[in-house]
Amino acid sequence: MAERIGEVIQVYTTRFLAQSDNLSAPPHFGSFVKVESQSIPVYGIVYNVYEASIDPNRRAMAYGIEREALFKHQPQIAEFLKVEFEAAVIGFNDAGHIRTYLPPFPPRIHSFVYPCDRQEVLDLTEDLEFIRSVNVLPGLPVEELVAASIRLIYAERGNDRAFLIRAGQEIAQLLKDEYEKARSIIRRISDGR
Amino acid sequence: MGDKLKKIGTIISGSLLSGLEAKLAEDVNVEGISVGRLIVVDGKNNKFFCLLKDVSLEATNEDILLSPPNDDFAKLVHAGVNTFYKLSIQPMLITAQDPTEDDRPRPSTTVPPHFSPVCEATEEDVSLIFGSPGIINPEIGSPIFMDVPVCLNLERFCKRSNAIFGKSGSGKSVLARMVLGYLVKSDMAINLIFDMHGEYGWSATSESTGIDDPSLKQLLGGKIAIFTVDSDSPLYRRIRPDYDVQIPYSAIEIADLELAASELGLTQAGIETMYRLADKWKEDKWLARFLDMDTDELSAAVEELKVNDQALGKLHRCLARLKRLPFIRKEVADDTVERIMNEIQAGRHIVFQFGRYNSMLAYILVANILTRRLHRLYVDKTDSARADGIEGPKPLIVTIEEAHKFLDPQVARQTTFGTIAREMRKYNMVLLLIDQRPSGIDDEILSQVGTRIVGELGDERDINAVLTGLPNQGTLKVLINNLEPRQFLLTGFALPMPVVIDAKDYGQFCQEISPGSGVIIDEIERRKAMDDLTVKVFGDDEIIFD
Repeated sequence: MAERIGEVIQVYTTRFLAQSDNLSAPPHFGSFVKVESQSIPVYGIVYNVYEASIDPNRRAMAYGIEREALFKHQPQIAEFLKVEFEAAVIGFNDAGHIRTYLPPFPPRIHSFVYPCDRQEVLDLTEDLEFIRSVNVLPGLPVEELVAASIRLIYAERGNDRAFLIRAGQEIAQLLKDEYEKARSIIRRISDGR
Repeated sequence: MGDKLKKIGTIISGSLLSGLEAKLAEDVNVEGISVGRLIVVDGKNNKFFCLLKDVSLEATNEDILLSPPNDDFAKLVHAGVNTFYKLSIQPMLITAQDPTEDDRPRPSTTVPPHFSPVCEATEEDVSLIFGSPGIINPEIGSPIFMDVPVCLNLERFCKRSNAIFGKSGSGKSVLARMVLGYLVKSDMAINLIFDMHGEYGWSATSESTGIDDPSLKQLLGGKIAIFTVDSDSPLYRRIRPDYDVQIPYSAIEIADLELAASELGLTQAGIETMYRLADKWKEDKWLARFLDMDTDELSAAVEELKVNDQALGKLHRCLARLKRLPFIRKEVADDTVERIMNEIQAGRHIVFQFGRYNSMLAYILVANILTRRLHRLYVDKTDSARADGIEGPKPLIVTIEEAHKFLDPQVARQTTFGTIAREMRKYNMVLLLIDQRPSGIDDEILSQVGTRIVGELGDERDINAVLTGLPNQGTLKVLINNLEPRQFLLTGFALPMPVVIDAKDYGQFCQEISPGSGVIIDEIERRKAMDDLTVKVFGDDEIIFD
């Protein structure tokens, strides 16, 4: 299994919050992650990544020095920072079968978060249900998120144009009453962008 | 052949009355779908044979129409989702999915369920509907975009008056020649063809190539008798007509002259004067006597009849035009109608030609006089045959060109042609109308027409007239509007459903119909079969005599 990238620190049925292990390598926006919890891997799509002070009462301060140089000279500053990311739950693994709907229970806090491997990404996105899942969650930057993840899968599938067209059609179908929204996503995923 | 059902869409809505609507499948190019195609909808238990009547562009959302997708990718992904094509199709016939022998397609009385697949008709479907070619079911073309025979059921064709309409250049004469040729060949009925433009005799000049194509006499030889009013015409230098026709003045009735009133320049007053003359001088004598009069005799007649001298003078001048038609004579050697009857009873078909006298006047007079007398004869013979319980005279199809001259609403009620069209097959006589101006024909007559063969028509009024009395007029109108030269819409009694065809190639028709080629091919086939039999019985060892 790939190296872990974080640990779950807050959960809901539809989303979870995790703290990143590595300050310098946060997960990509729109990438697919999984949480191993109670022997059911739960899959999510990263929709928000942020870096903040570990003390909610103390904000980070500007020092006027390049980040690399600052950490070299005052390594304790890094200790006061954390990277957290939020992911929307889009499916789970049911005894070897990937299900693209919500699991019966959310992952538990302190479970570890791993990036999905290539095969998992392919299986998870084959039916394109994840677009529907993220579209219904409130407060998500749906247009950017869907476009980012489709670009990612497109690359993962070796620039499979048939997939891109299928994804575009799925978006057009799902958002047929919100033509402008569909149009902006389609513009973001079309070739050469 | 083979089952190459190609799904082109899915039924989404519609009704039997207004037609069905289908969504075009996303992988089908809309530009390859054209109106007039035969379509099959695969229902659960039944197959529905339909006609494609319209294709339209549709969108699920107004917004996409206001800001259309501007790159190819966007167009591609919206296609079939936000934008789609709708096919309007008219169900016509229905048949069971696995038809048995006596399961003929019948008119559709219901609709297929939602989301039934819509396919293009296969060759098997077409032959299931239109039957396979034969002598009484000849192939006259193929559905547009298909290479399968569409056959005309001549048995049904002969039972009603029929019509071939189309503007000049639409190919109606060539098609008419084919239909007549097959009718002659099948002997389902005797044909009497009034050939105004000399196209149904020995040969006819092809409009496209300018070469003389063989026509009925050349193709069918002894089955055809040519009658002509102009035996001196250069037309007959090579091939003599069978009969020379002369018409006596006594055979011309006032009603005939009335029909040709506009050609003769007759006024209403002139017609009334003719009736006075006929009353005074006997019905069959007055015309010859009147035309022989000089000026003095005319003024005497004015005194005698108490008519306006100017009116009588004008009438005399008008009727004098008849003198210029040399086939109208005072005395004639024998009776043309009797001869025609004899030929009909002998089973020969008659082409009546006009040679150089192909003016409307000569045509109307001759066609009307002969048909009227034939009709009287037919009525008598049929009635007496009925009384005696024997078979009546042979069924007769009278083909007239420029049919609107005889059947225009003002005269249709009085002319023999109007009577024949209305009484249908009662007296074994029906019409085949050939016309380029169907709007000039009386509605009542049009609604009696059994089978209509419609080519390209320009005028809206003509198109409406052609459709008089037909169901699904909207659909058929679209089809007529889209016809090209040599394409025809066939609809009516002799066909199970309307269909648009590309007319059969004339050369192919000639090959098929001429007795020569057929006989030779038949003979070759027969000898081959005999040889095979000999080999089977005796072996194919060479026999050596020493």
